[in-house]
Amino acid sequence: MQGIAALQPYVISLFLLWAALLKLLDRRMRAQAGQTALARLVGPARAVPALRLVGVLELAVAAALLLPPPSPAEGVAAAALSAGFLGYLAYAHRVAPTSSCGCLGAHSRPVDRRGFVRAGLLLAMSLVAIGAEPYPMDPSLVALGLAEAVALLGLSAELDRHWLTPLRRLRVRLRRPLAPPSPGEVPLEVTLRLLYLSPAYCSASALLTSDVQDTWDEDGLRFVVYGAGQRTAVFAAPLAGGDPSAVRVALTEVPALT
Amino acid sequence: MTSRRQLLKSALLGGGAGVVAATALGSLGPEAAFGAAAPDVAPGAPDPDFAEGRIRSVKENTLLVLGSNMVFHRIRIVDGTSLWKLGPTTFDQAKPGDGLYARGVRMPDGVLAAEAVWLNIVNIKGHVRNITAERIHLDHKGQQVLCHRVPGKSVAIYSDAPPSGDLSLLRVGQHVQVMGAWRPDTNEVDIATVFSAH
Repeated sequence: MQGIAALQPYVISLFLLWAALLKLLDRRMRAQAGQTALARLVGPARAVPALRLVGVLELAVAAALLLPPPSPAEGVAAAALSAGFLGYLAYAHRVAPTSSCGCLGAHSRPVDRRGFVRAGLLLAMSLVAIGAEPYPMDPSLVALGLAEAVALLGLSAELDRHWLTPLRRLRVRLRRPLAPPSPGEVPLEVTLRLLYLSPAYCSASALLTSDVQDTWDEDGLRFVVYGAGQRTAVFAAPLAGGDPSAVRVALTEVPALT
Repeated sequence: MTSRRQLLKSALLGGGAGVVAATALGSLGPEAAFGAAAPDVAPGAPDPDFAEGRIRSVKENTLLVLGSNMVFHRIRIVDGTSLWKLGPTTFDQAKPGDGLYARGVRMPDGVLAAEAVWLNIVNIKGHVRNITAERIHLDHKGQQVLCHRVPGKSVAIYSDAPPSGDLSLLRVGQHVQVMGAWRPDTNEVDIATVFSAH
């Protein structure tokens, strides 16, 4: 337990250091500060100074945790900061549910469950760190520290585009979840797109008063029927091929009734 | 139905009885295009020939619809009315709870005689968060919308390829626009058309 407590300041401080440097140095993040829930909390004009202030606080706590000698006050400060994060996330979720949190880099996703779990994990780690005393590191502790860091990074939606999106792309490429359509099958919408591009449809569209009333396939053609006031407009489009000029139209006195 | 189809087919192909205007190929000509009267609605005023809302009840051929502005509409479906629900459909598919847009002619008694009714039609833009078995998980302003591919109906339109039923070129992370039919009271949509920027 002593070893685990001694490990926490390192993991927390590295995470806070990263968050602080992003807030202080990332120009994109400052540019998007107005869209975060922080802007809602302190006002859009004060969003960037507030972001910098949080960054400085994170930097100070990270430095205190990293530099010897260890003291319980450092853990308490980290816990207070984490509790502040949790409170801020709850505020953002309630008051500005469409705003992003502005925690770790610029992105437009609103606060979600993962953000809460991340702040909760940080708080738990900070509480453990209060009892930290000097302790020699061993491989199992390093592995635990790495696991904690991976968990914190995995819970960061800001980083999804670096690992989750490529991973999902790879899975889609391997599994092909959207099956190719059966050959020879032409969805109606494909024919309608051809229709919309055709001179025949353009010349008749001002007369059409309804959407598609009826459609059927015959002799390699797809017939599509629209109402045109008291009259009926019937189009014929080729099922195969994509030449819009091959579409024909007739306007008939056959009433729009069956 | 078959005889009517034969009549319409002969009008198109062979110049049967009752043909007003027809083309062997190409367009009808400008007089047809400019024959329609412009809608007579003042800018900013509600269009009396349009209604939107959700179906409260279906009685015979009339839909009782509650608009989003809490105004009731009575919408009559006649034989010539086109109904859309992920494609052309029939009147028995209109169910209480369905959302709709309707266009037609307002009768003196206030009933809208519908010419076209679109049931549950939605138009959403968003990012593809994930693609799983026949489903696209769309992130629409932080809300997840589950879009189902419907074989034989769903079509993808890419900027550099003709439209097709093949949705497999869509990629996780890209921006898309989905037109489809909402499944009432869920965050799920059946895809009619998905527009892709590439």
